[in-house]
Amino acid sequence: MKQRKNAAQAAAPLLGAAGFLLAWFLACRLELFSSYVLPSPKSVFDCFWKMLLSGELLKDILTSFGRVLKGFSIAFLLAFALGMFRYLVPASGKYYEYIVQFFRNVPPLSLIPLLILWCGIGELTKTVIIVLASFFPMYLNIVKGFTGCDKRLLEVGDVFGYTALEKFTSIILPYASADILVGMRIGMGYSWRAIIGAEMVAASTGLGHLILFAQEMSRTDKVIAGIFVIGLVGLGTDKLFGILLHKLFKGFGENGWN
Amino acid sequence: MAGIELKVISKHYYVENRKVSVLNGIHLLIPDNRITVILGKSGCGKTTLLRLVGGLEKPDGGEILFDSSRKTAFVFQEDRLMPWLNVWDNVTFGLKKQNCDESVIRGIIQVVGLGGFEKAYPNQLSGGMKQRVSIARALAYSPSFIMMDEPFAALDYFTREQMQRELIQLQQTHGISILFVTHSIDEALLIGHKIVIIEEGRIKSEFTIDTDLIHRDLLDAPLIRMKKTILDILGKG
Repeated sequence: MKQRKNAAQAAAPLLGAAGFLLAWFLACRLELFSSYVLPSPKSVFDCFWKMLLSGELLKDILTSFGRVLKGFSIAFLLAFALGMFRYLVPASGKYYEYIVQFFRNVPPLSLIPLLILWCGIGELTKTVIIVLASFFPMYLNIVKGFTGCDKRLLEVGDVFGYTALEKFTSIILPYASADILVGMRIGMGYSWRAIIGAEMVAASTGLGHLILFAQEMSRTDKVIAGIFVIGLVGLGTDKLFGILLHKLFKGFGENGWN
Repeated sequence: MAGIELKVISKHYYVENRKVSVLNGIHLLIPDNRITVILGKSGCGKTTLLRLVGGLEKPDGGEILFDSSRKTAFVFQEDRLMPWLNVWDNVTFGLKKQNCDESVIRGIIQVVGLGGFEKAYPNQLSGGMKQRVSIARALAYSPSFIMMDEPFAALDYFTREQMQRELIQLQQTHGISILFVTHSIDEALLIGHKIVIIEEGRIKSEFTIDTDLIHRDLLDAPLIRMKKTILDILGKG
């Protein structure tokens, strides 16, 4: 019974993907759209395979991954430091919280003209765009994690004579870790979403460049292959975060993170 | 000094800008090596009194005199376990690594009936089991004074009885001082050396029971009489 349930669980995503591919295949087969607007799954796969064999795709994936990782890491460090500061000095929030909320609602893409002006067209601008995209979900979750710690658990620390530092490392940080990791997971997703915008700025490599260049060349199959690769790499990193969350926070029960 | 002395303790809170007085001029001596039970209806100020003695809150008036070098532990009304730690790590939460004697901890986990559940997480345990983990956490700390806020309220009849016996055994063996809050008259009569009845933030009565804890029987005539008296006092309130 359990084996059957596990098999059904494993088959569910495959069935979803198969349904999607079938709908796509039928739409092309019935010529609902022209092959320029919607190339067939086979032509997209052929294009993907060709790029994979030539090494072009791997190079672009690695370049984009490096950019995402760099921007994401900087954003995390900034969000953690600012979130910690907000926790340690709660009164500080009223001075800058509205600025954070203001920028949270400004799309990073709208800042590209200014960023080019200030940072040029090199790697710095690309990194800043990714930082701006991934900083806010991480910051908000880190603040929530630190400030939302259950006061009753902190009292347990008081009873056992914990110092402020011990309470932070043994209660507040583990309590906040779930929120921090959820923020990191969302932040990583936002970083991948920002890669196209970042690589719009004078890039010669990377998945964003691949897609934009393919668009200029009217290669819709290449555009779709590029989109799929971004989605798959993003899904892979997201899944890794999910597994990490599930392993680290067994005690938090069913969480829907994996 | 012997025991803990509360002198003219008062405490109030503000609810919706309205001052609510919880404790009024409490005078109390909590003796060493004894179980003192605070008995009263819900909302009479029992938990607040315990929190003041435990140093979790400051009184608005009066003073609490005690030997600050004593090791104290607290068993809360709720289990207050760390959800990310398993049973073993929760039990040893109050201990520094170098003070953790594995065989002692294993023994305590057995006493509270959780042998074999060392690796389980709180969300995998029932309410009663979680409460037993929190009792084990307090015992593992090897305190000389334990404050317990209705610790057995979530347990079933049989586990509750077993835990009461274990508590008495523990107190007799190690001579621990215990301040125990409950609203169960039977429980108070069964485990208390001294019973303090609180009503609307004031001490209504105090009783001392000299009978040996190990052989105490609630059906003994003096205890039945005492129960009637307590019921009268609480009933009039």
